[in-house]
Parts: sequence; C-alpha cells; structure tokens
Amino acid sequence: MSQNRSFMQCDVFADYAGAGNGLAVVLDGENLSSEQMQAFAKFTNMSETTFVLPTTKANASYRVRIFTPASELPFAGHPSVGTAHAVLEAGLVKVTDGKLVQECAAGLLPITVEGSGKDRCISVRAPRGKIVPHDANIQTLLDAAIKNMALGGLTPTLMNNGPLWWCIELENESAVRDLKPLLADIATLTLASKAVGLSVFARSNSTDYQLVVRAFCPADSIPEDPVTGSANAAIAALMHELKTIEKVGRTYTASQGREVNRDGFVQVRVDDEGEVWIGGKTRTVIEGSLSWD
Amino acid sequence: MPPRPYLQVDVFSKRPGCGNPLAVVLDAEGLTDEQMQTIAGWTNLVETTFVLPPTQAQADYRVRIFTPQREIPFAGHPSLGTAHALLASKKINKQNGEIVQECGAGLIPIRIETSKKYRRRLFFRAPAVKNIQPFNNENSEAKAVFSTLELGTLSPSLVEGGRKWWIAEMRDENALRNLVPDYATISAMSKASDSMGLCVFSRCKDQDYQLAVRAFAPAFGIKEDPASGAANATIAAYLLDSGALKDIGHNYRVSQGREIGHDATIDLRAEKQDDIWVGGECQTVISGNINWIDIK
Repeated sequence: MSQNRSFMQCDVFADYAGAGNGLAVVLDGENLSSEQMQAFAKFTNMSETTFVLPTTKANASYRVRIFTPASELPFAGHPSVGTAHAVLEAGLVKVTDGKLVQECAAGLLPITVEGSGKDRCISVRAPRGKIVPHDANIQTLLDAAIKNMALGGLTPTLMNNGPLWWCIELENESAVRDLKPLLADIATLTLASKAVGLSVFARSNSTDYQLVVRAFCPADSIPEDPVTGSANAAIAALMHELKTIEKVGRTYTASQGREVNRDGFVQVRVDDEGEVWIGGKTRTVIEGSLSWD
Repeated sequence: MPPRPYLQVDVFSKRPGCGNPLAVVLDAEGLTDEQMQTIAGWTNLVETTFVLPPTQAQADYRVRIFTPQREIPFAGHPSLGTAHALLASKKINKQNGEIVQECGAGLIPIRIETSKKYRRRLFFRAPAVKNIQPFNNENSEAKAVFSTLELGTLSPSLVEGGRKWWIAEMRDENALRNLVPDYATISAMSKASDSMGLCVFSRCKDQDYQLAVRAFAPAFGIKEDPASGAANATIAAYLLDSGALKDIGHNYRVSQGREIGHDATIDLRAEKQDDIWVGGECQTVISGNINWIDIK
C-alpha cells in the first residue's frame, strides 16, 4: 500500500543553504523495511539519509536509523545533528532542559540544544576517541601520503572514535587551504590502516573560527568531504589527549568545506570529563512528501 | 527568496528506485547561474534541472540542465524527468500528443503517451546519428576490449549520435549480465577514440523486454550508467542500420541497470533513422518545496 511520508532535506553545519553537508530525513519511517530504507538512501545520494521511528526506550526523545548509499551506520555526527533539527522543526519532540535523547543503533545518545531560530545550535556527544598505534609498514605509507604537507607540531596520528581517522596537524591555515592532497597515496594509506579518511587541520588567526579542517576519503570515492563531524571530533580528542587543546580553547569553531565550494562551521566542545561534543546550525532546504513504498 | 516547487523524480522507472534520479526546481526564475550550479552540487544527483518561462513561441517551457560540475545543453533523462515534473504538478495539462522543450540544444519535442496499460510514458526524439564506423581490428585500444568479450553476431561499431559510443552485441543475456568490465581498457579505448565509452547489449528471449543493455563510461567517472537515454538511441540507430530490427521489432523495450542495483525500463521507437524516440515511465518520489536561502 503506497503511503506519503513526510520528508525533509537539510544542510548541516551550515549558516546558509549550500554551506554545509546535506542530509535527507524521512520523518515517519515506520513500516519501511531495511531494504527499502537502503534503496532510498541510495536514491537520495546524500552522504547520509535518516529514518525517524517511534522510540523503543522510555527516556528516548526519538529513534533514528542512519544509512549511507551503501550501508547502515550505528552512529554518525552530521546525521544526528540534522535529524534532531528535523524532528524539532516538525514539532515531533520537545526539548527538556536544553536536552534531547537520541535512540540509535549505538544506544541512547545525549543531544544538547542551545539558542533558538537561525542561531539554534544542536550538539551531539561523539564516541570517545583513542589513539591507535601503527607499525612501520603503515608509517611508510603515511610518509608517502603526507610528503607534500608542511607539518605542525603534533605527530601525525591515527584516531579511533567509531570510524578511524588520520589526524595531521599542519603548520598554519594556508598550508591547509592550499594543500593539493595526494589522493592516490591517501587512498592506499587509509585502505591499509582501515581508516575512513585522512584529515588535516591547523589553528587559525581568524576571528570567525579557531581551527581550519579538511577531510579526504578517496578510498570511499569521496575525494574531499565537505563538512565532517567525526573527523572534527577525532581532532579535538587528539588535541585533548596530547594536552594542546588549551591553545585552541576547550570550546572552539572549526571552518571546513571552502575548498569544495562549501562554507561549513562545526562547534566543538571538550567537556570537563574529556568528552567531545560536536554541533552546529542546520538549515531546512527541502520540505515535502515522499512516495517510496 | 521564496520557496520554489521542487520534485525528485525517478526516470525510466516502473517503480520508485528502479531508474535514474533527477531533481527538478520549478519556477526557477530569479536564480543566478551560480546558484543553479551550487544547488546542483548540493543535491548531489547526476542532474538537476531548472524550469524557466520559454523565450520562443513554440516552446512550452525552457529548462537548464546542470550536473554537480557544470551546465550541459541537453540530455535525455533530465528532459523526460522535467516534462514529467511539469505534468505531475499540473503546470502543463496534456494527456497525449507533443510538448516542446526549449534547452541549450534548441527545441526538443517530447511525446506524451498515456494508456491504461502504461499510465503515462514520455519520449524524446534523440539527436540524429551521423556516422557508424565498424571496428576493423586496427584500433589497438578497441581490440584490447573486444578480444575479451563474448561477442554476438553483429560487428562492434563506433556510433556517433549526440555523443560517440562504442557499441557491441554480446552473445546472449547471460554473457551480458555476467560481464565483469575492465574499466582500464574501456577507459583507454574511450580516450583514444574521443568517445564516451562502451555500450553492450544482448537480444533477450522470453522476457518482457527485447534487449538488455549496459553502458560504461569510466573515462568520465561513470563506471556504469543505470539508465541511458541517448546511448540507447545510438544502439537503436545501429540496429536499424544493420537490419536487426526486422527481428527485434522497431518498437522494443530495454532492461538496464540490474547489475548495479537498478532496474530501469526504457522504450524505443525506431521506425526510421533521424526519427528515433527514447522514453519510459517516470515516478514522482519527492514532492515539495526548496527554500534556498544562501545568505547568512
């Protein structure tokens, strides 16, 4: 039986439409099979498509399933921020004491909501990041992938916060912005080390943001990701672990995406327990109905 | 800037998800070229179209077609999906007959066929085929490709319609569906002959389609296309030229895309050269508004 479902496509980590990372949200995903969800995520061709479902846990505000065009994910940052925006816009949930609880395959995750209207900032706590040691073979591939980079003070490091990210600090903002990544070498490195991608970052003197970030996932056919929640969380976790976070601040703004014609901002916070929160503004771009099943 | 009507359509599709997706922005007047390009990058679909008032008296509408990278003058699947979006949203009311699309390639007729069996199908007239050049064993890049294929009876050819495609018949449907393409050699052949890539087809027995098709354009970043409009027209011109349509039929149906998780259905009307029509059903998947506020 065909059914019209409520649909939204929004732009996450964005001050304006087109600045961030797109997300498709099906607001009433009930009774769609996993296969139908996967097929629709392939059709939208967004980096992620989410399906909002009734909660199964008493203290959850909403439940969500997250799909890339290829597979289902237990958790991801940008889809969590965007889905929280969508359920708030649709009036499906109410914020209590600035908080929501998202139920997803990774469990119950706290979400904070600050401000209102265009300035509303939604943040999600990222899984805790850990440094992953690497061997000499990987070091050789790493050296090849970063040989054209002007490195900063931190040792290039592999981080695990769910996905694995290489986090490479560069000398300064222009070293990040002007970088021409060696995509073939990065693909080889990330495949060999089971990383989703390689991120580069540097501190910035801009008044609008304190860190500049770029993220490359050539092995996944994404040469450069426009705005990346998990990579930003991994970088913050690394700086916290190596005790250099105070140089940037425990609460800072990262700029990402300008090199691929976007202009995203990620709000990053490292709390007193050392947990990393990532968030940002979201813009609703497309609203309508979906006819899929 | 006000919200504009927006549809996401599945083209060459009997059910949502089978065909080739397209984003359509209706009432696109007032958007700049740059905004159109940015929107097409953001939707991340193979093509996004923008509907504008026609500037020529014979045209029913004008459309501009963008890939995530650039504007293109014409393509089949965006033309059909745009016409469908206009009909589905009742901006144009017509059950049967022709409407005229104004685009970068000029005026393109779109034929509407509505029947009980097929609901509404739309057809576009494909660019005329200018040249059919049989493979003669001398082209070493083409030889590297064709020597590995289980070929059928017709000889492979380089066919120039709107774009150039290498076309080759496979021995049977199994050989076609099980083919594991060698993208490197296909890419080399495509570059050496200034063509899009390789289309392979097979005649099919006991199916509700007469031809199965696969299209590879790895040199253009498209390993395999789920549903090809103009490329199917070049295959039809090639079959017409070879006389094979006497057996297959001048109105035939194509199955494409199953090997990459799609299941497109494409209908051909190929009575004579320079008058080949390509069409199919379109499904409205998303219907709503786009609110593109690109200032802080």
